[in-house]
Amino acid sequence: MRARRLAVEPRGRPSLVSRIVFPLASVIGAGVLGAILLIATGHDPVDAYLEVLRSGFGSDLTIVRTLISATPLILTGVAAAVAFRMKIWNIGAEGQLYLGAIAASGVALAVGESLPTMPAVALSLAAGATAGAVWASLAALPRAYLHTDEVISTLMLNFVALHLMNYLIFGSVSFWRDTERLSFPSGRFIPETAELPEIWLRLHAGIVIAVIVALFVWWVLRFSTWGFGVRVIGDSPATARYAGFGVSRRIVSILAVSGAIAGLAGAVQIAGTSHALQPGGLAVNLGYTGIVIAAVSRLNPLAIVPVSILIAGLTNAGTALQAQGVPNDLLVLLQGLALLLVAAAEFFLANRVRIVTRPLPTLETAEAA
Amino acid sequence: MDGTGGTRIDAGAPEPDHRPNPPFAELRAISKSFLGVVANDAVDLDLRSGEVHALLGENGAGKSTLCSILAGLYRQDSGAIVIDGQIHSFHSPRDALAVGVGMVYQHFRLVDPFTVAENLALGHPDARRRLSATALETQAAALAERYQMPLDPKARIWELSVGEQQRVEIMKLLHRGVRILILDEPTAVLTPQECETLFRAVRAMREDGKVIVFVSHKLREVLDVSDRVTVLRGGRRVGHLATKDADGRGLAAMMVGRSLVLPERTDDADPGQVVLKVEDLQVQGDRGNPAVRRVSLEVRSGETVGVAGVAGNGQRELTETIVGLRTPRSGRVTLNGRDVTRASVVDRITHGLSYIPEDRLHVGVAAGLPLEDNLVLKSYRSRRFSKGPVLSSRAVRAWADELATRFDIRGARGLPIGLLSGGNLQRAIIARELSQRPEVLIAASPTRGLDVGATESVRRVLLDQRSQGTGILLLSEDLDELEALCDRILVIYEGAIVGEVTAGVFDAGRVGLMMAGHAVA
Repeated sequence: MRARRLAVEPRGRPSLVSRIVFPLASVIGAGVLGAILLIATGHDPVDAYLEVLRSGFGSDLTIVRTLISATPLILTGVAAAVAFRMKIWNIGAEGQLYLGAIAASGVALAVGESLPTMPAVALSLAAGATAGAVWASLAALPRAYLHTDEVISTLMLNFVALHLMNYLIFGSVSFWRDTERLSFPSGRFIPETAELPEIWLRLHAGIVIAVIVALFVWWVLRFSTWGFGVRVIGDSPATARYAGFGVSRRIVSILAVSGAIAGLAGAVQIAGTSHALQPGGLAVNLGYTGIVIAAVSRLNPLAIVPVSILIAGLTNAGTALQAQGVPNDLLVLLQGLALLLVAAAEFFLANRVRIVTRPLPTLETAEAA
Repeated sequence: MDGTGGTRIDAGAPEPDHRPNPPFAELRAISKSFLGVVANDAVDLDLRSGEVHALLGENGAGKSTLCSILAGLYRQDSGAIVIDGQIHSFHSPRDALAVGVGMVYQHFRLVDPFTVAENLALGHPDARRRLSATALETQAAALAERYQMPLDPKARIWELSVGEQQRVEIMKLLHRGVRILILDEPTAVLTPQECETLFRAVRAMREDGKVIVFVSHKLREVLDVSDRVTVLRGGRRVGHLATKDADGRGLAAMMVGRSLVLPERTDDADPGQVVLKVEDLQVQGDRGNPAVRRVSLEVRSGETVGVAGVAGNGQRELTETIVGLRTPRSGRVTLNGRDVTRASVVDRITHGLSYIPEDRLHVGVAAGLPLEDNLVLKSYRSRRFSKGPVLSSRAVRAWADELATRFDIRGARGLPIGLLSGGNLQRAIIARELSQRPEVLIAASPTRGLDVGATESVRRVLLDQRSQGTGILLLSEDLDELEALCDRILVIYEGAIVGEVTAGVFDAGRVGLMMAGHAVA
């Protein structure tokens, strides 16, 4: 008699080979599954994939477009990751980004004209980061000292921020609103001195800022005493308290840092891309996508950079594919498949699964053993 | 196929009946390994009806693995489970329960908001039909009566003490008609009084013809309650004998593979100046209840002061207040002549206060971080390990290597410390605390749940530290340990110090009575 079953066992530390093979296999697997889906719905998968490559990464212009789209995603991804590392669930990058955009555009409009380029940009970005941090602190202080649930408070603050931004442009004749334009309500354009310089074609310097932030956060988490505190508190707040860490203070600081990075993302969007507070262009789930990116990247800021670029490229390619008659729902499905398989690769990287076939023990074999 | 209900032995196989007094259940040559680590290596175990069979061994000897295989939680890599002459292949605890094998785990599986009777219904095969609450309550009351386990069937789980919750777990199995009950380290969580109740119930179950597999590393209770003993060491069976033929020393030697005697205090204290002084301390508990009532005590350098008491009599609140995790309502804590009543935890650490907490895994270490990180938890900011904001991982690793050698901490670097055995975990905590060169050391139940070998090393370290002039406050329920290590013992009951005993005139019975709240002249 034989019994067959699946055995799932945790791997100790995954080898270097499996660290490379599994993610690769997941990308290929997603491609194959996607191809089946495309064929089933009457599309040519080869054509579709070529189009994805072409319109996501195919030329200088599309690469620039992809990198521009990736910039805020890198920042919101890092914002989520840094808080998640300490098991503080900041779901509020979306709202913190809006506040960053409001503050950055406000400062740029107010003082941009009277300053040379570098200080104007720096001041406006700093204002954005500060606003993001302050907005996050609204949730952080009650979390740290009254033990409220930060998931709910950060999430709810997103809606407050969204409505605040909409009010400034659509609901009032505010400082931010362009009152000269009488057609569709729109934000006032910031002075050129407050715009991020372009470094290659239309690519603005935001990508450099985002990559530097990601690298810096990675380094801090890994090598600094502050990062050590994040690790300890993330693992066990009770132990941290016992060892004398100021846990409440650090909860406030990590949420402020996370909020500042998300706020910076909003400021970079203003200074680099939209040059005006445009709610329609900002409210495209950059904060929520950052959470997904952080999770797929296993909260590693270094991995967040390529993952963001990939997601940005796929999203941009999606628009092109739609023009070819591939419906948007199908594209969302393909993206979902890719993420699912990356998650699966994670599982197989951490666990070994074998099919065990063996004879059932009988009295004889048991005694012989 | 892989029939879960058991496979009748083929006609050709030898009938087991030719043996005298055939065992009721047998584990034959059970082997199991995890990630290449052998937990059980061809272990045999035979169980006869109406016996209490003790499974004795140090932490990590493979007792829990063996029991989990018998209970259907794990599957053996090889070997067979034979019950009533049939080979069984368990795919889940449900299969094991179906043939009458059940286990009470160290961590209970009860639903807190439900009553005792309702918990009996959970997972019961009849539960899909309509169940009458009254019928269940009657059955629960009958079981409580029959096995002398006082328990109110209508009580909700969260209202019950740990000992009572354990009774519910046992009752659940009895209610399912289990014939083999596995109790995994059942006394680890019990007070001495609750242990007595448990032993009474175990004896009543034995009278009923049940088999009780009693997992323990405490020699005294094994000798007290069991009929036969199987000793495991390093995953192998190293001995099996009738309890009446066994003695404590022999079993201990079998368990650790060498003979050993637990170290004791041999000299009288040579106390120096007062290093820790607690004056008229009043502390509130988590529910605003008065947890510590007007406690005053002094610890001098070079002496060990014990605090004896049943868990939950204010020890936790007292230690937390001394180390700075809790603010007292009134009173004063003085460390080396400095008033630290309002000082921060870090402040007290830097002024020579070390603390070995009772909850090793959740307070003593960050379980998900590696050994090296845990060893610098309190000192990572010192110039030795960090330059400005940068932590030197090389210095941290070197320090871990040094302490691991000095304190005999065995375990791979880089892996979560929570994977280490209890003894290694405690040695790591002690290494960290003592490397701070403390003037005052608070130790809460430092050997609780440790095996003999680890207990020996912890006791030795505490005695060494005392002779080096540290003042030690030792809180424990274990009277043997307090007697062996302490110069003076204070007894705490309901948050107040109700008596003091000096080492020379120690009387366990008297201290026990005081711990239970009886006034003793």
